[in-house]
Amino acid sequence: MRSERLKGHLDLLLMSVLSRGPGHGYEVITRLRERSDGAFELPEGTVYPALHRLEEADLLASAWKVVSGRRRRIYRLTPAGAAALAEQAEQWRVFSGSVARVLGMPAAGPAWRPFLGGALA
Amino acid sequence: MTRRAADAPGDAVEDYLDRLLVTLSGSPRQVRYTLAEVEAHLRDAVAAGMAGGLTEPEAQAQAVRRMGPVTGVTGQRSGLARPSLALARRLTLTAALIGGAGFVAIGGAGLVARVLLAAKGDAFLTAPWPQDSYTRADCARWLAGRPGAHSCVTAMLADHAGDFLLQATAAGLFGLLVLAGYFALRQHWRDRATLTALPAGTAEALGTALAAVAAVACFGTAFDTELTRRGIGAGEPWSLAVAAAVAAVVFAVALGRARRRARPG
Repeated sequence: MRSERLKGHLDLLLMSVLSRGPGHGYEVITRLRERSDGAFELPEGTVYPALHRLEEADLLASAWKVVSGRRRRIYRLTPAGAAALAEQAEQWRVFSGSVARVLGMPAAGPAWRPFLGGALA
Repeated sequence: MTRRAADAPGDAVEDYLDRLLVTLSGSPRQVRYTLAEVEAHLRDAVAAGMAGGLTEPEAQAQAVRRMGPVTGVTGQRSGLARPSLALARRLTLTAALIGGAGFVAIGGAGLVARVLLAAKGDAFLTAPWPQDSYTRADCARWLAGRPGAHSCVTAMLADHAGDFLLQATAAGLFGLLVLAGYFALRQHWRDRATLTALPAGTAEALGTALAAVAAVACFGTAFDTELTRRGIGAGEPWSLAVAAAVAAVVFAVALGRARRRARPG
C-alpha cells in the first residue's frame, strides 16, 4: 500500500498497535508490518514524528527503559488514547462500510480487521 | 573511541545518525531523545538483518533504506524546508553579532576620541570645513552653541567634535541593544540545526576580516591625514582605527576559541 495513503491513518494504526501492549518504535513498526502481512510498508522513520505528536496530545505516554541491553523509549496508550482509538475506529468502520457498500464489497476488509478488531469490540 | 574510529567511513548507520543530528531541531533534550530512539531502532534492524543472513554492511544498508530519509524522522515536508529556516536563523545571528559588535566598536571609538580630544584639542579630532562651504548663518549657529568660542572656526570644530562624540555614543548604545538581542535570540534558537547551519567560527571569521579591513582603512586615512594635513582632523580616523583593531583582535580570539571547541577529541 502506498505510504501516502497510509499516512492519513497512521495515528489510528499506531494507537491500535499499542492498544495490544506497550512497545518501542522498532517493535511498533515490526508489529504493524506483521499484522498487515507486509501490506503496510512505509519509511520506518515516519513513525517517530507520529509517536511524538500522539504523546504531545496525551494520547500516548513514554518512558525510557533498558531492554536487551539497549536504552529504549517505550510507548503505551493512555486512557485518553484508548478513548480516541475507539472513536476513530468507529469513524473508520462507518466510513469504510459506506465506501464498501458503494463499491459493492464486504465492509472492513481483512487487512483492517486485525487492527480495528480490539477497538471495535 | 579514537577520532579515526569515530569518523571511519562506510558505516551507513553512523552516517545516517550524523545526517539526522544536523537536521533535527528542537530542544537539546528532544534532539538527544530522538537520536537515541532512532539509533536503537537502526541497531535492532541491523541485528535482525544479520540474523536473517545478511552481512553487516548489507544489514546496515537495509536498515537505513527502510528508515527512509532523515526528513521523515524529523517530520519535515521537504529536505530543504527546515535547513533553510535554520540557515536563515544562523545568518540572522551572524549579522546581529557582527553588526552589534561593529556599533559597539564605534562607541569605543567615541571613548578613544574623548581621550584624543582632551589631549590634543578639537582641531585634531575634526578638520574645519573649507571657508567657502559654510555661511554666516552656520557660523552664528555654531557660535550660539559654543558661547566660549573665540571664532567661527573654533566653534565649528567644537560643534563637529561634539557631533562625532554624540553619534559614537548613540552607536555604542545601539550596538549594546543589538548584542542583547543577539544573546536572547541565540538562547531561543539553540537547536542543533541552527547552531550547525554554518561552520563553527563563521561569524567570528567574518567579524575578524571586516574589522581588520576597517582598521587598515582607518589607519591609512589617519596616516594620510597626518602627512597631508599635519594631523588636523586625524583624530576621527585614529579613534576608529584603534576601535576596529581592538574589535579585530577580540573576534580573532573568539575565532580561535570556536575552532578549538569544534575540534573533535
